[in-house]
Parts: sequence; C-alpha cells; structure tokens
Amino acid sequence: MNELMSFWGQWLRPSAGLPTVQWALLLAVASTCGYLVYRHTGLPKVVGYSIVGMVAGLLGFSGAQWPLQGIGLFIMELAISIVLFDAGGRIPWRWFRHNPMVLVQSIAESALTYFAVYWTMLWLNVPHEAAGPIALVAMAASPAVVTRVVADTRAAGPVTDRAIVLATLSTLYALTLGGAHAEMLSRPGSRFFETIPPVMVMFGVSIVVGALLSGLIRIALRYMSPESENTSILVLALIAASTAIAAHLGGSAPLAALIGGMLIKQLHPRPWALPRQLGTASSVLTMLMFVLVSTVAAQADWNLAIAGTVFTLIIVRLVAKAMGVGIGNIGTGASWRQAVWVGAAMMPMSSIALLIASQFMAASASTGAVISSIALPTILLMEVFGAVIATVALYRAGETHKPWAELPTGPSGDEHRES
Amino acid sequence: MSLEAFHHSEPLTLGVELELQLVSTHDYDLAPYAEDMLRLMHKTPLPGSVVPEMTNSMIEISTDVCHSCSEVLSQLTPIRDALVKSADKLNIAVVGGGTHPFQQWHERRIYDKPRFHELSALYGYLTKQFTIFGQHVHIGCPDADAALLMLHRMSRYIPHCIALSASSPYVQGQDTQFDSARLNSVFAFPLSGRAPCVLHWTDFEAYFDKMTHTGVVKSMKDFYWDIRPKPEYGTIEIRVFDTPLTIERAAALAGYVQSLGAWFLNEQPFTPQEDDYLVYTYNRFQACRFGLDAVYVDPPTGTHMQLRDHILQTMDKIAPYAEQLGASGAVELLRKDVEAGQNDARWLRDRQREEQMLAEVSRQASIKFRG
Repeated sequence: MNELMSFWGQWLRPSAGLPTVQWALLLAVASTCGYLVYRHTGLPKVVGYSIVGMVAGLLGFSGAQWPLQGIGLFIMELAISIVLFDAGGRIPWRWFRHNPMVLVQSIAESALTYFAVYWTMLWLNVPHEAAGPIALVAMAASPAVVTRVVADTRAAGPVTDRAIVLATLSTLYALTLGGAHAEMLSRPGSRFFETIPPVMVMFGVSIVVGALLSGLIRIALRYMSPESENTSILVLALIAASTAIAAHLGGSAPLAALIGGMLIKQLHPRPWALPRQLGTASSVLTMLMFVLVSTVAAQADWNLAIAGTVFTLIIVRLVAKAMGVGIGNIGTGASWRQAVWVGAAMMPMSSIALLIASQFMAASASTGAVISSIALPTILLMEVFGAVIATVALYRAGETHKPWAELPTGPSGDEHRES
Repeated sequence: MSLEAFHHSEPLTLGVELELQLVSTHDYDLAPYAEDMLRLMHKTPLPGSVVPEMTNSMIEISTDVCHSCSEVLSQLTPIRDALVKSADKLNIAVVGGGTHPFQQWHERRIYDKPRFHELSALYGYLTKQFTIFGQHVHIGCPDADAALLMLHRMSRYIPHCIALSASSPYVQGQDTQFDSARLNSVFAFPLSGRAPCVLHWTDFEAYFDKMTHTGVVKSMKDFYWDIRPKPEYGTIEIRVFDTPLTIERAAALAGYVQSLGAWFLNEQPFTPQEDDYLVYTYNRFQACRFGLDAVYVDPPTGTHMQLRDHILQTMDKIAPYAEQLGASGAVELLRKDVEAGQNDARWLRDRQREEQMLAEVSRQASIKFRG
C-alpha cells in the first residue's frame, strides 16, 4: 500500500487548490438548481442560484468572506460592470428630452425610497450614521436581477423596458451618492470641504475610465460588427481592464461601466447587438455573482430585533418604490396598471447593494458593521423574493413570452422556454 | 348572413390604410407597444383613425374619405407626426416596410381582441406569421356593378401595385430574393388570391350566399383577396401594396390607383374576362419576385414584356386623368423611380449591403419614416 501511495505521489502536481474545487462544485450545483427551479416552476434561474448560495452561506461555506476583498471582490465588480455597461446602453438621453417625466419618475421613486427608509431606520433607533447608508443601499434596485428575469421569461414591453431603465437609474444615483457618502464616512472629523477632493477624485476617475471605455469601443465598432463574437470578446476584455483600472485608481468600477454604457449609446446610436453576443462567458460571471452575493449575505447574524428591522425595511421600501413610481407616473405615457407592475418589478436587490454596503464597511468598520447587520439579510431576502416578485409583475403585466397559466409544471414542459 | 347592400360613395374618392411596425430603439426588433401607442394617440385629435392590428407590435392608421392624393398626404402627415411624437415619448420607433426584416414570428403576441383570438384559434401559427405590413387603398365606385368591373379591370394592374410598393425583401433575417415576400404570407390563407370573375352584383350576392351556406365564411372580412369589394363603404379595396417606407410614397400610390380608376371609368378601355386570370398568378409571382425587373404577360395578347415598360406605358395612358385629379406629381414621383429601377425593396437591400446589419437598416428606415 505504501508503495502504491509513493508511486501515486510522484504524479501529484500543485493545482489551483481546494477553494477552486469548492467553487466549481458550488457553481455546478447552482447551475443545476437554477435549471430545475426554472423548469418546474417557471421562476427565473437566479432564484435557484441564490438559494444555493444562501444554503452554502448558512452552512458556513468558507469560500467568500465579508467584507469582500481580493479576487472575490474583483469578480463581483466585473460581473456588475458587465451588467451595468449593458444596462447603461439601454438609456438613450434623447428619451428624457422627449419624455422628461420618466427622469422625474426615477428621481421621485429613488428619493422617496431614500427618505422613507432613512426615517424608518431612525424611528427604529438605528444610529444616524448607519441610517443614511442603509437608505442608500435600499435605493438601488437591481438591474442584474431584473435583466435575468427578463431573459428567462423572455419578457418585452413597456413595463419591462421601464423597469430596467428605472432600476439602472436608481443604481446610478445609489452608486454616486453611496461612493460620496463612503468617502466622507472614511474621513470622520473632516470638514465638509475637506471631503470634496476625494469625492471628486472618485467621480473623476470613474468618468474618465467610463469615457475611455466607451471611446475605445466606439473606435472598435467602426471596423468591427457588433454581431461578431470577436467584438464581444473585445468588449468583455475592455470592461475587465476598466474594472481593474477604475478600482485601482480610486474610482468606482461599476459607475465607470455604467457611464461607459450610457456614453456609447449617445456616441453610437446604432442598434445594440452586443448583449446577444456576450454569451456564456458573461452568463457564468453573472451566475457566479448571484451565488457570491447570497453566500456572503447569508453570513449575517440573525436575531429577532434584526429580523423585525429587516422586514420593516423591506415593506417600507416596497411601498416607497411603488408610490414613487406611481406618483411620478403622471405624464410619462404609461397607465396606472403598468406603474404598479413597474414598481413591483423594481423590488430586487443584489450585487450593487452589496457592493455599496461593502464600500461603507471598508470606510468605517464600526458603522459598517451596523450597516451590514441590516443590509446583508435584506439583500439576501430581496435577491430571492425580489426576483419572484419581479417575475410575477412581468407575468401580470402580460409582457412575458407565455402567460402564467401556460407555465410548465413538470418534465413534459415546453423545452423552448429554456434560454 | 346575407351580403350587405352596396352603399353609395362618390366615384374615385380615396381611403388609405397603412399597417406600421412598432420597434424598440434598443435593438430595433418589434416591440409590443400597440396598446400604449393607441392610448397616447387617442389624446390627439386627428383625421382618420388609429386602430390595433393582429399582433401587438403593429398598428394601423387610416385616412377619412379623400378626394385626391394630396388630401391623402395632408391627412397622413399629422397622423404620422403624432405617431412619431408618441413613439418618442415611449422610446420606440415607427417604421414602414412590408415585413420586419429579422423578427421571429413565434415571439409575437396576439393583440387582446376577440376577433384576433378567433383568427388565431382558426389559423394557428399563420396568424403570427401574419405580422406583415400592408397598405390598403379604397377607391369609390359609382355603383355595385361598376365596382366589380373596376375590381376585375384593376386585377391586370396588380403587378404594377406590387412592384411599385415592394418593400419586404427580408424575412426572419434572410434575404428572400423576393422584392415583396409579404404576399407569400397572405397566400397561405385559404381564402386568399383573386376574387371570382363575376361582373354583376346579383351574381356576386349569389356567390356570397353559397359561400356562407358552406359555413366557410361569415362576412366579407373572411376573404383575404388581393382586391375585394367593400359594400359598406361603396368601394373596392386593393390590398397587395406593401406598406411603403414613407407616407409620401403611400399617397403617391393612392394617386396612381385613382388615376387608373379614372381611366377605367372614362374610357371603359376593356372588358374583363375569366381568361385574364390565366396569367394572373404568374404575373403576380413575377412582380413579387423581381419587382420592377419582372416579366409581365399581357393578359389579352399573351405578349411578354418588362413590367417596368408596361408601368411606364400605363403612366402615359393615365397622365391626363392624373392631371385632372391633381395626381401628376404623384405619378411623376413614381415614374422617376421606375425609370431608375428604384423601389423601397432596392433601398433596403442597398442599406443592408452597406451596413451588413438588418437592425441598422430598420433604424435608418425609421428615420426615413419620420420625413
């Protein structure tokens, strides 16, 4: 036996290590679970991914630690950047010229969410320093979840389009204000004017990197077809590079990608064919992001007081978003019924909220801990249930490929629903 | 159900219907925005009407009764402008053309209206494949018999109408090699094609009674003929036109039809007969396939000639009537294109040759539609 082990030992080589095996297996399980959830319930695959991540986190999976750092942080930033670059490319500025009420609607729902959550947190005796950041985290609806739900249900229409745009804009505000707030939090005792330069550096770097990203892609699209696989690889590579550079230079990588996407839409008004081509690589990254988020978020400590605060926050956020979308709906060209479903479709929270919370954690460990204790469980619940609510909203709005009644309930389901 | 009496209409009056595409400004695929467009459009007082069509990425606009093609254009212009304004508000675009170049029929959703659901139940996937976009031109006739005479005379000029309006070379992302592939989708319907060659309304009523007795049809709406009488309006309705890329061309086509009608009524140039239809399907196919470069077989003589030459000859014959009706400019616009071998199908192919991306072709077509 010893001889056999000795012989075998000669063949062993250093490998990527146990964490790689753990992550690979976790992703395999998540992928299977996502498929089964989708196949048997019609709910989007992201629900399956999140459930697997949540279970892994609750079981003490050690592959991802809070606060995020190193390669885990980079992967999440990269996945968010890809989603936000695509989401930014869906926001034509000319639309706001023709329909400024959509911008008003977006500001109304974000502002109402912020203030409603902020005051609720104060009412629940959450410290003032933490209440603001938690409100900013709650402001961000998740374009990542919404776009995955849209892809899985093959939804299209006014509610779908508006939910994606409003979620993206709320993300823009949350990233901008969250970045600025985190910078100020990291400099306690500084006077207001002393916090301005670092905030300006954060924005400046993000804008410059975003502009550079869009400029390079614009040049590439002069010579390369947006429908080519090589163009997709180029875009993915440039987003990866900009993510690393923006983070390294003190900017916000997701903000840079979002600005890059919005700029390219203005510089290059031709049809946006990239999402269809970004393919499996971006799908794997996105799945990894959802698993990572729920794994990390599940590590939060639960107790009765936290649970009460989290459920109150979720209810207040739901009502505030719905009211904000409803109030701002006047003059936007959408019906009241559509406004209700848009508000519901904006419930999901996920990676961007986690990233903003992570910024606060990095800025101040003590305040960050309070923020995390409330934000993480909220994100966990709203990644899973937010996706379910958004799915129901799109079905009820009649914008999915098939109506709710025709969803498969067993193995004999329509295979064409697989995307 | 018996056939409705043929109502009175002023001869040679015009009514134009245009089916239009609603597309996303993100990827320029069809977008299900018909309900939202209708809601916004109903807030603006306009001539004519705006109504839903079979699937919810389509919309149909129509004029009131017009006396000239310039009046048609004067009605279509504010409707077009209101459409564009509403589309801008919803962040979508409106596009002409007989087909959407790359939409997938199975992704379409039937508009929520009882008749469309009934048709979907009967025709299955054909209803979703009916996401095609045509222009219908109604022309007023003095009486019922004159309408049938006008209908069958007009049948000889169906290839003209097809070639001049052809704007559907692409289907499901492929160049079909047809200038008007749209009509192939119409041909799949069992009651499509040509009307029976009867020249008296009493005979037509008898035919209609026999058809309703079989239970196959309930009303005139069940006939998908290339030209059909429309007794409730006192018109015949020509349905072979692809929707052009611009309303200017749509009005010009109406002017061409009106001038043809005036020529028929004034000169009674020939008496239609069943044998005219011997070459009808062949001529129709040629016009769909090759557009202005088609071969035209003259029904009475069997002579083969270039369709574009026959169109130009016809334009010479109707020129005096076009002048009387104020349609000279419209006919001249079409004549220049015929001489240059140009139609909307050619324009779409040229754009695709340049851009190598059908979505971009749709975007440029949406800019062209804005005028």
